[in-house]
Amino acid sequence: MSDEGTEAKENKEPKEPRWVERVAPKNVDWSSLAVIPFLAVFSALVVGAVFIIFTEGLGSVLPAYGALLRGAFGGWNSISETLLVATPLIFAGLAVALGFQAGLFNIGAEGQMTIGGLTAVIVGISFEGLPAVIHLPLALAAGFVGGALWGFIPGVLRAKTGAHEVITTIMLNFIAFRILDYILKQPFTQAEGRFDPISKDVLESARLPRILTWLPVEGVEMLRLNLGFILALAVAWIVYWILFKSTIGFEFRAVGANPDAAKYGGMAVTSAIILVMVLAGGLAGLGGSNETLGVLGRAFPGFTAQIGFDAIALALLGRSHPGGVVLSAILFGALRVGGRAMQVETDVGIDLIIIIQALIIVFVAAPELVRAIYRIKGGEEARQLTRGWST
Amino acid sequence: MKRNARYLALLGVLVLVIAACGDGADDGTTTTAEAEGTTTTAEAEAEETATTAEAEATTTTEAPPSVEAITACQVTDTGGIDDKSFNQTAWKGVTDAIDAGLATADSDFLESQSATDYQPNIQAFLDKGCDLIITVGFLLGADTETMANANPDQHFQIIDFAYEPGVADSVQGAVFGTTDAAFLAGYLAAGVTETGIVATYGGIQIPCAVTCFMDGFVYGVRYYNEVNGTDVQTLGWNPEDETGVFTGDFEDLAKGRAVTQSFVDEGADVILPVAGPVGEGSAALALELGDVWVIGVDADWFETLPQYEAQILSSVLKGLDVAVFTAIREVAEGTFEGGTRLYAIAEDGVGLGAINDDVPQPLQDEVAALLESLKEGSIVPGDQALS
Amino acid sequence: MRNVTKRFPGVVANDSVDLTIESGEILGLLGENGAGKTTLMNILYGLYSADEGEILVDGAVTKFDDPGDAIAAGIGMVHQHFMLVPVFDVTENVVLGVEPTVGPVGTIDMTEARREVQEISTQYRLEIDPSATVEDLPVGIQQRIEIIKVLFRDAEIIVFDEPTAVLTPQEVEDFFGIINGLKESGKGIIFITHKLGEILEIADRIAVLRRGKVVGEVVPAEATEEQLAEMMVGRPVDLVVEKEDADPGEVVLSVTDLLVRDDRQHTAVDRVSFEVRSGEIVGVAGVQGNGQTELVEALTGLTVPLSGMIHLGGENVTLVSPRFMHRNSVAHVPEDRQRSGLILDFDVAENLVLNSYYDEPYSHGIRMDWDYAHQHADQLIDQYDIRTPSSTVKVSSLSGGNQQKLIVAREFSRDTKLIIASQPTRGIDVGSIEYVHARIVAERDAGAAVLIVSSELDEILALSDRILVMYRGRIVAEVTGGEATATELGLYMAGLST
Repeated sequence: MSDEGTEAKENKEPKEPRWVERVAPKNVDWSSLAVIPFLAVFSALVVGAVFIIFTEGLGSVLPAYGALLRGAFGGWNSISETLLVATPLIFAGLAVALGFQAGLFNIGAEGQMTIGGLTAVIVGISFEGLPAVIHLPLALAAGFVGGALWGFIPGVLRAKTGAHEVITTIMLNFIAFRILDYILKQPFTQAEGRFDPISKDVLESARLPRILTWLPVEGVEMLRLNLGFILALAVAWIVYWILFKSTIGFEFRAVGANPDAAKYGGMAVTSAIILVMVLAGGLAGLGGSNETLGVLGRAFPGFTAQIGFDAIALALLGRSHPGGVVLSAILFGALRVGGRAMQVETDVGIDLIIIIQALIIVFVAAPELVRAIYRIKGGEEARQLTRGWST
Repeated sequence: MKRNARYLALLGVLVLVIAACGDGADDGTTTTAEAEGTTTTAEAEAEETATTAEAEATTTTEAPPSVEAITACQVTDTGGIDDKSFNQTAWKGVTDAIDAGLATADSDFLESQSATDYQPNIQAFLDKGCDLIITVGFLLGADTETMANANPDQHFQIIDFAYEPGVADSVQGAVFGTTDAAFLAGYLAAGVTETGIVATYGGIQIPCAVTCFMDGFVYGVRYYNEVNGTDVQTLGWNPEDETGVFTGDFEDLAKGRAVTQSFVDEGADVILPVAGPVGEGSAALALELGDVWVIGVDADWFETLPQYEAQILSSVLKGLDVAVFTAIREVAEGTFEGGTRLYAIAEDGVGLGAINDDVPQPLQDEVAALLESLKEGSIVPGDQALS
Repeated sequence: MRNVTKRFPGVVANDSVDLTIESGEILGLLGENGAGKTTLMNILYGLYSADEGEILVDGAVTKFDDPGDAIAAGIGMVHQHFMLVPVFDVTENVVLGVEPTVGPVGTIDMTEARREVQEISTQYRLEIDPSATVEDLPVGIQQRIEIIKVLFRDAEIIVFDEPTAVLTPQEVEDFFGIINGLKESGKGIIFITHKLGEILEIADRIAVLRRGKVVGEVVPAEATEEQLAEMMVGRPVDLVVEKEDADPGEVVLSVTDLLVRDDRQHTAVDRVSFEVRSGEIVGVAGVQGNGQTELVEALTGLTVPLSGMIHLGGENVTLVSPRFMHRNSVAHVPEDRQRSGLILDFDVAENLVLNSYYDEPYSHGIRMDWDYAHQHADQLIDQYDIRTPSSTVKVSSLSGGNQQKLIVAREFSRDTKLIIASQPTRGIDVGSIEYVHARIVAERDAGAAVLIVSSELDEILALSDRILVMYRGRIVAEVTGGEATATELGLYMAGLST
């Protein structure tokens, strides 16, 4: 109000630049943002250790978790595999997280991946002779568009008729699987000499190139990490920018947090819902393309391997934040790849990993439980990620 | 969705394991294997019904005690180790070998969650230093080829896959004469049907690994018609134009149930599901309906799925365990060779399992006689007239 | 309650509060929002536990771990927001949770329940039909159901949290009759409010809370509204809105035959016509639910009217979007700030650009300029005296008064041709009310046309130059500001006079 007041404020500025406040705001509820997920992972590992103690004895805990860590990060091959598994999880996790931010529960990432992966393959097996610089982006774009279409349908149904996206996306998953079966049995796509639904191999010019082959280490030809990972990181950054730095993202988040206020603020709620679902579908479609154009090189039934469902857990763990999604995806990838080494090197089965993942989700979904265990005070009540069924 | 259910199931299994291990019953295999009670029961009974190949194997091991046990490692397809058929039967071959002293307790398996896991799972076993890596199933063909060519000194066995010569010569591809075995099942089915309609369906249309069962079944029915002047119809597969009914995967039991229901609606009363664990959906429905027979595949369902025994007609045995056991023995003895290996009916590599006691003895005798004719080669499936 | 202290992180919500309530007494509990009234009552009702101090019932120290304990000790609470199941009937709502049962399997004995409800209703002259469905009943009657619920559970001390906020003046009179009846039958009543007139009328004793402390206890006969207000706020408060006579200019808003249907396709606004001129404040009085909400939604572009015309400065704006209205200098203070005026999860700066983010200088193309938005927020925080640690604080942590100031800052800091303010001071403290009222008058004096919609008659009377009364979707009366009385308007609002 007064000039002195303004000056006093400005004097404080240099001590704490605004970007510090933006990046790490003082008022943010860190316990729910970062501490809870961290403690959830920690708690899940502790409970996992109890399982190990009961099944294999106390002495097996350290070797098992040691093998887990080494298997996930101990060596180029491990790192390559961990990030390789994380890549589609990042894409699909972003697809679900974007929906959460806008108050939509996108259970359809699996179906969107399926369609996106399929459309990418169709482009990837066509256009022989096209240079990779054109063919690969074209195939990826096709994957994005395919997934986006599969997100557009529930988006429109939700925005225009109120049909709940939980129902429609689940149903569209099944439709996507059957479409995949059908298309893959057509002569144009089906691999020659095969009678089961499996596509031809994607042409080399549309394959995601491996990115670690320049490393001066032995067995470099086994490092399967491909360009998809870089792409995933870039896309995560773009999603972050859209959500938090653009007017569109402001609308998405406003629609998610309070649709009435969004409408009051002059936002077009229905088109925001459709756009969110289109983008989410496109992201999942990229995830599917990442599989078919990358590590698999072809499409076949079930190539999505439940990644679209794991993505829901992952988005929850990552608190629907693109950065959180990337970290969670790498964690899941590490658990999966490390779990393999754990089973091979010790007597602890890889099923433990599934238990640990499930426990992480239980702890993340019940933040009060974690707060109670570790006696963390305060914290706002659990943030509502989606609106209820009635709205 | 399915994954979520699976988390719960696995938690349950682990709780059981805790209980089981309370009394120190630790024989060195992995936790999951222990949790599968069926593995051990199947093992015990396998001793009694040992095929000639196995008997032969056992005698060989006993003769030269100098043979050193090897580490055998199995990579499953996405069906999992406890699929009640394919992967489980192959794993039985490993556990049989452990019992016979041919394989070490360090032998292990890795379940593939998705197709992207095949290659790293094989790699994990290469790193572990396994003497023999067994990849189970047609779906692992490409990845096994890649890894075998990158590691030419490693012993590989792949089930249900035959490479063209020169593609992956170090790999032993085990294939099975399932057409012959299913021929017997078709004959038996045609003999017991009351509606005059029998049916078969597959999981995924994989040439021979799945469709040979279906071919043989249809041929068997035709042979029965030829001999007895009947007109039993087969639904679900046409060997001539290679079209038929497939559920699309080897995982979803509900689809097996649904397909079976539609066959029953069309009048079929004997069903042969060639779809791994999916077939259990058929067995469950048959048990509920009461007047429908199911025929098991891969393993003897009287042993692996005894809860359905009232409706199990018989099982088409595919000697996956025999093939795996044999390969382990050969590696241990140093006689292992790459190339395609056929496990035929003549050496009991395939066959028909126990037949339900309700089947009239004369028909059982006819089937037994037919088995001998097939072994001699006096009857060849596929030569029968279309009916 | 003796020496009760409750701390929340950073705040002492209740600081050594001593409070007694005797049977047959009405204790008025007065305090601004955030003074600690609600916290104190939640401790009494077992929802929170006190950090220090104790609660004594009939002289015995009692510990309440949950509301069940409090109910068992004879403490009942009538919340501001009713806790009723709309589709159940009166008796079902009353017995919910404590159903009388018969037989071995515990069948609910509805006959007995109905009889008891009838008995309570007769005893306290509540005049309730035990079989009526709740959703069909007016708000005043629903409140009585809440009272029966409490009595059914044998409460001796009954806490009323802002009970008159939802009632018409006539209903308030009836309500006072009821609680006097309760008092006579020996119940102890705690009456929480921020309305000074009411508390002076009904209470036997008044305790004033400020910043968690009891700053005084007075007897109504010895107190005036001004004194109470000063005790609440801690400084002298101007209760009368100082304003000059209006000097209306040209017509800014013109509404002709407006017909609006609500979500359920019932006619909510029934062919309404009126004008608002620049430099005047027009008040719309009426009991809530008589079409005011839909009227405002139609005027601001949030709903599409079925027929009729809306003109803004001569331009037809009947079918335009909220964004268009906003860009054309229409300020809108929405009725329910938490439901539609703010995004509680967002920070102060984000809320301050909620309806201008799409224009320069807050964004360039699709890129938000958060640096600018925060500078802008800091300015408004100073200018409008919004009490917040910084512009990056979530608005959910602000008090109601400061949330409302934020909205006022957002809406009034721009060019304003027309201000549409719905319940502009609902649920905020005296100090903030004073502030908001002064701002509205200042905007009028600067030449804005102002439309105030409020169910608080005092507010309408204090601010308006002209008053329209809405009843069942129609404007049933138009009165000049200075000449109206509360009684007259009350009759119009109840549909008893046309």
